Amino acid sequence: MLTSIKTNSFAGDKGKELGMMYFRVAIILFGAQLLMGIIAAIQFLYPGFLFEIFDFSVARMVHINALVVWMLYAMIGSVYFMLSDETEHEVVGIGLGKLAFWVLTAAVAVVVLVYIFIQVGSGSEATIWFINEGREYIEAPRWADIGIVAVVIIFYWNVFATYIKGKKTGIITVMVANLMALAGLYLAGMFFTDNISIDQYWWWWVIHLWVEATWEVFVGTLAAYALIKIIDAKREIVEMWLWIEVLMLFGSGILGLGHHYFWIGTPEYWWEIGALFSSLEPVPLIAMFVHVIYDWGKEQGANGTKPVIKNGPAMAWIVINAFGNFLGAGIWGFFHTLPQVNIYTHGTQFTAAHGHLAFFGAYATILIGMFYMGVQYAYGVERLKATFKSKMAIFLITFSLIGMTIALTIAGYEQVLVERAELGGTWNAFFVAQNLPWYVQAQVWRTIMGVVTFIGFIYLVWDLLTIGKEAQKAEA
Amino acid sequence: MANKNVSVWTSIPFWRRSAAWVTGFSTILLIWLTFDTIGQISMGTDADLKKGITKRVPAPTVINYHIDYKMSQKRGHEVPVIGKKEPFFGKEWSPKEAKELLHLGKLTVQAKNCMNCHTLLGNGAYYAPDLTKAWLDPAWQKGGPMQGMTGKNTKEEAMAEFLQHPSKYPTHARMMPNLGITPKEAKGVVAFLKHMSAIDTNGFPRNFLKTVDQFKAGGTNAH
Amino acid sequence: MIQEFTDVVPSFFGMLNQGPLTLTIFLHTIIILPMFWIYKQEKARLNQEK
Repeated sequence: MLTSIKTNSFAGDKGKELGMMYFRVAIILFGAQLLMGIIAAIQFLYPGFLFEIFDFSVARMVHINALVVWMLYAMIGSVYFMLSDETEHEVVGIGLGKLAFWVLTAAVAVVVLVYIFIQVGSGSEATIWFINEGREYIEAPRWADIGIVAVVIIFYWNVFATYIKGKKTGIITVMVANLMALAGLYLAGMFFTDNISIDQYWWWWVIHLWVEATWEVFVGTLAAYALIKIIDAKREIVEMWLWIEVLMLFGSGILGLGHHYFWIGTPEYWWEIGALFSSLEPVPLIAMFVHVIYDWGKEQGANGTKPVIKNGPAMAWIVINAFGNFLGAGIWGFFHTLPQVNIYTHGTQFTAAHGHLAFFGAYATILIGMFYMGVQYAYGVERLKATFKSKMAIFLITFSLIGMTIALTIAGYEQVLVERAELGGTWNAFFVAQNLPWYVQAQVWRTIMGVVTFIGFIYLVWDLLTIGKEAQKAEA
Repeated sequence: MANKNVSVWTSIPFWRRSAAWVTGFSTILLIWLTFDTIGQISMGTDADLKKGITKRVPAPTVINYHIDYKMSQKRGHEVPVIGKKEPFFGKEWSPKEAKELLHLGKLTVQAKNCMNCHTLLGNGAYYAPDLTKAWLDPAWQKGGPMQGMTGKNTKEEAMAEFLQHPSKYPTHARMMPNLGITPKEAKGVVAFLKHMSAIDTNGFPRNFLKTVDQFKAGGTNAH
Repeated sequence: MIQEFTDVVPSFFGMLNQGPLTLTIFLHTIIILPMFWIYKQEKARLNQEK
C-alpha cells in the first residue's frame, strides 16, 4: 500500500488514487498516535520519563491530534474513494485536490514539528497564532486553522461538483449534506475568548457535534457503501436503513450535546436535555449493528448460491465496527451520561476509558476497513481473503483495546470513589487516588495493552503492504 | 387503513422526510437554546458585583472579592458565594486592570497547554488535578502544605510562586514541568483560576474539600 | 408538582425544567409529533400510487 508515495501505477480511477494518497498518510499518523499513547502511558507509571524534555502534555497533545487528523485523512480518502462509484461520474478537480492534499500534508508536518520542538509559547496572541491554541483536540494554531478551512473548501467543492454532475444516490446525498455540517462546525472552534464557559460551550459544538453526530452519520454512510460493495447488499434496503440512522443519530445526537453542558457554567436545564437525549444515542448504534449483521446473514443465504464476501478483512472490520460502536460509544457512553453519575465521574479515567473504546470502535475500525477496500482496488483483486496477518491485526488490536478500556474503567471507579467521593476532589485527593495500588495496577495493564495494540498495528501495516500482491498472485 | 398492502415503514421517502425534519428541527432547537444559554453565561459586570447580583460567570473584578463554595439548600448542591472584598496581590484591581489580567491569564493557560495534563471545568486530560475550584483548595490556604512549602503569606503569591518554579516544589513523584511562566503571566493564571472558581458550575465538583481542618482530618467525610 | 424556580436566571427552558421531566418530554414531543403527519401524507401518497 505504501509502495509508491505518489500514485499506484496499477490504478485507473483518479479519485480513488487521490483517496489512496490520503489513506497512506492516515496510516502513518495512526502509527504516530499509538507511539505517543505509549509514551504518555509510560509517564503515568514513571513520571520522570522524558520529564521537561517531552512532557506528558506534549505526548498527549500529539496523541490526540494525530488521532483526529488520521481519522480526517482517512475520511477524506474514503470520500474520494467512493465518490466515482456512487455518482458514476469521474471526480471533478483532481489536480486541485492533489494540490490541496500536499498543502494539507505540509501544514500537518509543520504543526507537528512545532508541537514537538517548540511545545509552548508565551501567554500572547502570537502563541495562539503560531504554536498552539491549547484547546484539547483542536490545538492546531490559527494559521493552520485557516489553512485547513481553505483545503476543506477545495475538497468540498470537488465533492459537491461531482455530486451535481453525477448520479444522486441516497448514500451520496447523505454524504454531501453531512460533510457540509462537518466542515462548517470547525468554524465554531476557531476564536479566542476570556470567558472559559463560552470557550467550552463552542468547543463542544466542534467536538461533540463531530464525534457524536456528523462523524457517526459519516460512518453510517461508509458502512452502507461498503456493504453494497462487499456483500452485494440491496441498495434499497441499505439506503432505507441509512435514512433511519440519520434520523436517530441526529435526533439524539444534536441535543445530546447537552451532556457536555452539565458543569461548565451553563444553566441547569441542560441536565434534563443532555441526560434524556444522549441516553437515546445508543439506539441508532444498536440499529446499525442489527442492520449490518442482518444484511450479512441475509446475503449469505440468498438465492441458494455460495455466499461471497468480496473483501474478507474489510468485512471483518465493519462487523467489529458495528459491535465496537455500540459497545464503546453506546454502552460506555451511557455509563456516565446521566448527571447523577457524571457529577462524580466527570474528568476521571472513566472518560478516558469511554474515549478509547469509542474512537476505536466507532471510527478506527471502519476506516481500517476502508484501507482494505483501497488495497483491493489498487491491486485489482476480485476477492480479497483475510490472511494470517489480517487476523492477527484484528485480534491483537481489538483484544488490546478492550483490555485497555477495562483497565481504565477500573482506574476510573477507584478515582471516582477515592478522589471524588471520599477525599473531596482536591489536589491532594487526586494524588492519593493516583498512587493507590488499584489505580497503578490498572495503569500497568493499560500500558501493556497499549504495547499489544502497537504489535497489532505492525501486523496491520505489514498486511496492508503485502495482502494485495499475494491475492493478485493467487488469482493469476 | 384503506389498503393493508401499503407499508409506510419500508418507504424510503417517509424516512428521508422524517430524517430531514428531525435533523432540521433539532438544529433549530439547539440554536434557540444556544441563544438562551449564551445570554446566561456571558460575563457579568463590575456593577453586578457591587450590587450583589448573582451571575453564572461573574466580571473579572471578582478577583477583588472573597470567594467561597457553599451548599445551597435551594439548589441542592454547592454554589460559589461571593463575599467581602479582599486584596489580590496586595491591591484592588480596577475593571480595566482586572480584565487585562484575566485576558493574560486565559492566553497563558492556552499557550502553556494546561488542558493536556489538567482538567478545567472537568474537561482536559487526567494526568494532573482538576483546576475548577483550585483557588479554594485548602492546600493553598494559610496552614496548608502548598502555601507552607513556597514560604509565601497569601494564597495568590503561593500559587504564583509555584507556577513559576513548579519542579522546585514537588508534591508527588509526578511533577509539573517548568513551562517558563513569567511573574506577570503567573499573576494572570492565578486571576484566571480565581475567576474560574467563582463560576456557577451547578455543583461540580461535588463534595469539594474546603478547609484546612478537613484536610488535616483526612477528607470531607472525616470527623 | 411544579417546583419553585431553582436555577440562577428564569428563562423559558428553565421554567419547563421545573416539572418532572417536563422539559425533555416537551422537546421530544415537538420533535416526534410532526412525524405522524409525515406518515399520514406518505400513506396517502403510496395508496394513490397503487
